[in-house]
Amino acid sequence: MRAPTIQAHFGFDKRNFPEIGAERGKSLRPPFHPVQVRQDWTWDPQLINCGDMPLLRKWLRLSVIVLIPTVLALAEQQPASDKPLSAEDLKSAVSIDALTVPTPGEFFAAIEKGAKPNWTSEYRPPISIRSADRAQMALNLGTLIADGYIAVEAQDSQQVKNIGKDVLALAKKLSISQTVLARGASITQFAENNAWAQLNEELEATQNEVKKALEENRDIDLITLVSVGGWIRGTEVVTGLVMQNYNADSAKLLRQPALVAFLKNKLALLPDRLGKDPLVQKLVGELNDIQRMVSFAPDHVPTVDEVKELNAASAKLTKEIGVSE
Amino acid sequence: MNRLVLTVAVSCLVATHCSIVEAETDDQVAARNDVIDFAGAFQNDGFKIRDGNYYGKVSMDQSALVAVNLYNGNAYWFTASTGEKAEKLKVSVFDEAGNPVSYEPYQSGTRAAAGFSPEASGVYYVKVALEDGQPATFCLIYSYK
Repeated sequence: MRAPTIQAHFGFDKRNFPEIGAERGKSLRPPFHPVQVRQDWTWDPQLINCGDMPLLRKWLRLSVIVLIPTVLALAEQQPASDKPLSAEDLKSAVSIDALTVPTPGEFFAAIEKGAKPNWTSEYRPPISIRSADRAQMALNLGTLIADGYIAVEAQDSQQVKNIGKDVLALAKKLSISQTVLARGASITQFAENNAWAQLNEELEATQNEVKKALEENRDIDLITLVSVGGWIRGTEVVTGLVMQNYNADSAKLLRQPALVAFLKNKLALLPDRLGKDPLVQKLVGELNDIQRMVSFAPDHVPTVDEVKELNAASAKLTKEIGVSE
Repeated sequence: MNRLVLTVAVSCLVATHCSIVEAETDDQVAARNDVIDFAGAFQNDGFKIRDGNYYGKVSMDQSALVAVNLYNGNAYWFTASTGEKAEKLKVSVFDEAGNPVSYEPYQSGTRAAAGFSPEASGVYYVKVALEDGQPATFCLIYSYK
């Protein structure tokens, strides 16, 4: 809507300059006659008829073309007048799982901006959890949901269905199978129809409903573990893909100091029955190392070796989470 | 027996209270419906709406700040709505140090949005403020591509 306004302002519309047409007769753009211009010359100020000056007309048109995007860019990209936040403001900022922790889908959308990732190379063998450790089951549920996103990115309908079954098996153990069952049917349907965009949304909805069901079952603390599991597996996958096709933009995706700090804080708040779980304790220890690896300056580009180090750390954690007792 | 009845009654009351506290209010539902409708416009442009939201309250002297972790390369739209009550809502984005960043603003009465493409991954802060109108409940969501 803004562009026409600016054009109307700078444009040579008859309505803007009615006297030009009136002065020169019927046509607004008479042919260019240099001799006539000289004869008509006067000391008195005159309105310029751009119809007589093709060069000026071109120059003005070019100026308008250059000005429009510049004016729009200035108007749109500099809302300014925003005062910097104080330290007190920053302290008051709310962090919530539903918005502060990105989904694996968001992480994967960012890595897709570079070269086409080889998603199938990031598949892993199916996991089988026999232990009754609820913390481990919740962590694995998170890693499995991340696996679901990988299968969707790879557009592999069979793999989506396989992972759906694994998710359902774990959900049963955590007594939230009804929620997953309802979503599972539509996931299978979308997979069979190769509806990849819908599948992505469905996976996110599944993840949220799993968390909601845990909350309803008074298992709210397990939600943190689902998020942590998903983030660790997502980091393993993204670092693996960055290593395959290293470039600065992809490597910079790995900068997430505040996210790891947020997850660590949530883990620190777990009740003793979960906080003292050996796997959770191991996880907290290893997250300290991972936090160091993802805490670098905004302008730093992680080297290939730094990416490898993070990949090894996250892969080790994923394995420890998935190990069958 | 009396003690048992009393315990059950108190438990029921606590459970009812909890469910009341957790239930969405009419204002929240209205704000959420409106913000989803609003964000639908970005879907036509290839943005995916994240299935998560934040409810908060804003007044002329009380804004809300939400921390989000963003990835360089992705484009984001943060959208907020109060449903009906606010006169002029505003959404703005700040970097991890609290400095304002360059973003694309949108403002239309009870609805506001900010479009942002981070050059560095990390934490950012989304501020929802009320520039004019009565205190209101808002719903914040975001879309990405």
